Amino acid sequence: MANSNLPRRIIKETQRLLSEPAPGISASPSEDNMRYFNVMILGPTQSPYEGGVFKLELFLPEEYPMAAPKVRFLTKIYHPNIDKLGRICLDILKDKWSPALQIRTVLLSIQALLSAPNPDDPLSDNIAKHWKTNEAEAVETAKEWTRLYASGA
Amino acid sequence: MDSEDDMHDANDVESQDDFYSGDTGVASDYDDGGGYEEEEEDDGDYCFGDHESDDSEDITSHRQQQNYTILGEVDICQRQDDDISMVSTVLSISRVGASILLRHYNWSVSKVHDAWFADEESVRRTVGLLEKPVNRPLNAGELTCGICFENYPRNRMNSASCGHQFCNACWRGYIGTSINDGPGCLMLRCPDPSCGAAIGQDMINLLATDEDKEKYNRYLLRSYIEDNKKTKWCPAPGCEFAVEFAAGDGSYDVSCTCSYNFCWNCTEEAHRPVDCSTVSKWILKNSAESENMNWILANSKPCPKCKRPIEKNQGCMHITCSPPCKFEFCWLCLGAWSDHGERTGGFYSCNRYETAKQEGVYDEAERRREMAKNSLERYTHYYERWATNQASRQKALSDLQQMQTVQLEKLSDKQSQPESQLKFITEAWLQIVECRRVLKWTYAYGYYLPEHETAKKQFFEYLQGEAEAGLERLHKCAEKELQVFLDAETPSKDFNEFRTKLAGLTSVTRNYFENLVRALENGLEDVNQGSCSKTPGGKSGKNKGGKTKDGGGSKSGLDDPSCWSCRCSPANPRSKKTCGQCNGHRP
Repeated sequence: MANSNLPRRIIKETQRLLSEPAPGISASPSEDNMRYFNVMILGPTQSPYEGGVFKLELFLPEEYPMAAPKVRFLTKIYHPNIDKLGRICLDILKDKWSPALQIRTVLLSIQALLSAPNPDDPLSDNIAKHWKTNEAEAVETAKEWTRLYASGA
Repeated sequence: MDSEDDMHDANDVESQDDFYSGDTGVASDYDDGGGYEEEEEDDGDYCFGDHESDDSEDITSHRQQQNYTILGEVDICQRQDDDISMVSTVLSISRVGASILLRHYNWSVSKVHDAWFADEESVRRTVGLLEKPVNRPLNAGELTCGICFENYPRNRMNSASCGHQFCNACWRGYIGTSINDGPGCLMLRCPDPSCGAAIGQDMINLLATDEDKEKYNRYLLRSYIEDNKKTKWCPAPGCEFAVEFAAGDGSYDVSCTCSYNFCWNCTEEAHRPVDCSTVSKWILKNSAESENMNWILANSKPCPKCKRPIEKNQGCMHITCSPPCKFEFCWLCLGAWSDHGERTGGFYSCNRYETAKQEGVYDEAERRREMAKNSLERYTHYYERWATNQASRQKALSDLQQMQTVQLEKLSDKQSQPESQLKFITEAWLQIVECRRVLKWTYAYGYYLPEHETAKKQFFEYLQGEAEAGLERLHKCAEKELQVFLDAETPSKDFNEFRTKLAGLTSVTRNYFENLVRALENGLEDVNQGSCSKTPGGKSGKNKGGKTKDGGGSKSGLDDPSCWSCRCSPANPRSKKTCGQCNGHRP
């Protein structure tokens, strides 16, 4: 059903994700729904998330690639641009989406967001405030959460 | 050339004019200057003195003229087209490019020119007008579309000025998605994330479906009105006219071809003499408490004498209960009508909250116990009068329409008068509609007039009362006295007398209300100035300039607080409490 008439683009993207995965990122389609991907992103080195393994879900809506994929963190993470439901504040997932972008580029952007949190454009006010007033302490909390929730379990 | 700045400059000039003429009474120069408004209507050949030779002349010399233009769809398209042609010619770029530029600079031709000639390269970069392609695909027979990853021959692919190739099907999808997302499609860029090349109307016409093209054109038209600071849509539901507002005049009132009157500044219905912020406060308050009000103000009131419920089905406030009761009373205060007219030497006072309070209609002790109820009561007082005048205005509007479509013809038959001789009736009704509107807003004005400014409040209520009384006279004459002639079987010899009366009342009322509006817009500053400091060349002289004898009568109380007026005498000295002739009381 959902897998019938899968656009050629999605098939090609999936094949390439599996055959040439981006470093630190894995994405594989669910068996019963080829539009639903289980994603894992490794915490980038020299970030508070280093050593963590973060699970995400990615869904390609019917309109894809004219509409952006829907992505959400499943692993709890302390980050000013990610809220407690795992929703991500990232321009290319919203108004800056372009059909010339791909699953790969989206996941690379999310990985980059982990390396460079942007408290000036926050999704979670409390965390962003923490980040701006006491970055060292916020980074500690992020490390703590990484240890607690993302340590490969 | 910022249009808004122009507009404010003009207003400043305007208000300064008033300030000086009213305040310092710069004697005759300004007296003349004030007279022009009226002169303008009668004979257009009035010239300014040399003292007005600066640029304010252009702006203010035609105060009574429209400083706005109503635009239909054809006019809008024409103007848009002209602007695009202009930019296209001056900058030597394509029309599509000119359209993209104009959209980016809110359809201001001058802004486009300024920006372009200041730094063409940066403008090109910002709006995405590339001079040459950034991407030149290899001369391969087939190319891969960057969106669907399929291979296509070159002739089934397209690109914007940048050269990024996508297949026609993906283009259609990309453009369609954007158009269905809203007016943002007017700023569409190449799908390549690293590229900012603008997608103009040529690409839309080439690649989009017919339905999408149609939508795109609507957005383009709307953008011309909505993004342009000088134009707005008429806010009346279903109205498709737009208004272009030019610098000038202090008044924001716009009268659309659809007959809706609104304020250019806040797009609420026209609300002179009240300012925009008061209107928005009042509307907010009404929406917050309207449920209550609806409950309190049912559509009927019990007759104060026989208690039978009465529905108000006519515009004026003078109600006569049906036989056998026949009690005549005022709809607003439910007091006997005999207490209202000048016949009893009383004055029209049911607009006064204070009076009602003093007479113990509102129980003082009760109100002190219930402060909340008190403020609601005060609000109710003003709201009720605001809403009643609103309803009365609606009624007058439909009466006017009825008059124009049916009654005038009938009257023309019965009284053997050509319809051209009956214009005075239409004029009277138009005046009633306008006065009801002004009067309505004076109640919002009154509600927000600070309680502690007692002198102002008293003066205001006096002016308002007089206005209300004058309007009631006019409304009654146009409504009830006219009926006699409509019902008559044969031409009546009294008809000419009626004509003189109604036309006279219309003129007096118009003058009174014009002065009222001006005085309220001035914030009733005469009150603060102290009563006797004014020179004869001041405001009152200005308003009377070049006017008929009707104009002078009832309004001087407005202009000069050193005097007060009653029905018969325009200027009773302040030292006397009653008028020597009609025994009318000083407010």
